[in-house]
Amino acid sequence: MSGSTGPINWTPMIIGFAAGFISRVIYLRSGHTRNPGYPSGYITQLALAVIAAMIGSSVLVSLLGKEFTAATFLTLAATQFFNVRTQERKTLEQEEELILVPRGAGYIEGIAITYEARNFLAMLVALATSAVAEWNPYAGAAAGVVFILFGEMYMSGPRVGELIDVEPAEVKFEKGSLLYAGPVMLIEVGLADSRERYLKEGLAVVLKPRDARGEAALWNIAQRQAIAHEAAVAVGVQKDVGYPEQGVVCRMAMPQGTGVAGLAIIPVERDIEKLIRAIKNVPVLESAKWSNIKNTKNRKEHSHG
Amino acid sequence: MADAPTPVMFAIVTTNKDAVIGGMAPVFLAPNEIERDRIAMWICRITNAIAHDLHNGTVILTVNQASSSS
Repeated sequence: MSGSTGPINWTPMIIGFAAGFISRVIYLRSGHTRNPGYPSGYITQLALAVIAAMIGSSVLVSLLGKEFTAATFLTLAATQFFNVRTQERKTLEQEEELILVPRGAGYIEGIAITYEARNFLAMLVALATSAVAEWNPYAGAAAGVVFILFGEMYMSGPRVGELIDVEPAEVKFEKGSLLYAGPVMLIEVGLADSRERYLKEGLAVVLKPRDARGEAALWNIAQRQAIAHEAAVAVGVQKDVGYPEQGVVCRMAMPQGTGVAGLAIIPVERDIEKLIRAIKNVPVLESAKWSNIKNTKNRKEHSHG
Repeated sequence: MADAPTPVMFAIVTTNKDAVIGGMAPVFLAPNEIERDRIAMWICRITNAIAHDLHNGTVILTVNQASSSS
């Protein structure tokens, strides 16, 4: 760097960089359902992690070294990370057309926001750690660990499994053609051929909310689309063009309005345990999280419509 | 599903022609229920439509305009 005003202390920068990078890599692992599962996607994220951690850790050091030009450029570089969200959203939106069980706009927005936020969080962790390390390297390393753990706790939102009980249910037809998952009526299936396939190969689960928050999440249609998508990803779905009614459906218990939802799927891999695990692991969407409703109906009673 | 689909009636297959009067969709008459289900399935597979049984001898076929997913 030009116009040097004494030797630069590299230690805080290195510690800050390490903390920021590690925090980003940890989120990469913990949020595997939200991230691309292909190697090239990870490379992109790792590259961004390096850049983010570097920006975060070097801002303070360059300020202390009276390199104001460098600091200004670094903040400029940080604003470039706003594009990351748009980029991620665009990629996923394009993928929507190619998959038969789409993620839904709500889920995509959630993924994009988290993706962006994680980069900024890595930056903040690097900045805060380097600030502490500037004072004392050992304290800096300890603070880095604390910041990483704090960020991990704060950033990983609730999962469906924390708010909702997922139980296996029976696939059955009532009144000739109404598809049921346990007590929940899902859709009307007019073709005898499709009904047979649901009975022979279908799996069904009932989603019972534990509290008002879980129920609010279920009433959100974007949340149910996300659940259907993750279910289809986990066990596969025998769905093809020309068979729109076969595949996966997730609906509320509707004429009753008890707040219970049902899901039926014709899976490729007939594994109910895997299906339940996948559904429990679906993140609760931002759009579904904050609405606060209470069902005034007695949830114990299920009248079979 | 996230964007609510708007079903458009695409065709009507019936064994009871008195149950259906006119309309925008073509009506296919079938002599019996087996033949009706066969025709309904055939058209469904070709046109990506969804069959709904009205339980009065009539099956209607609808196509979702917004998306082909149900």
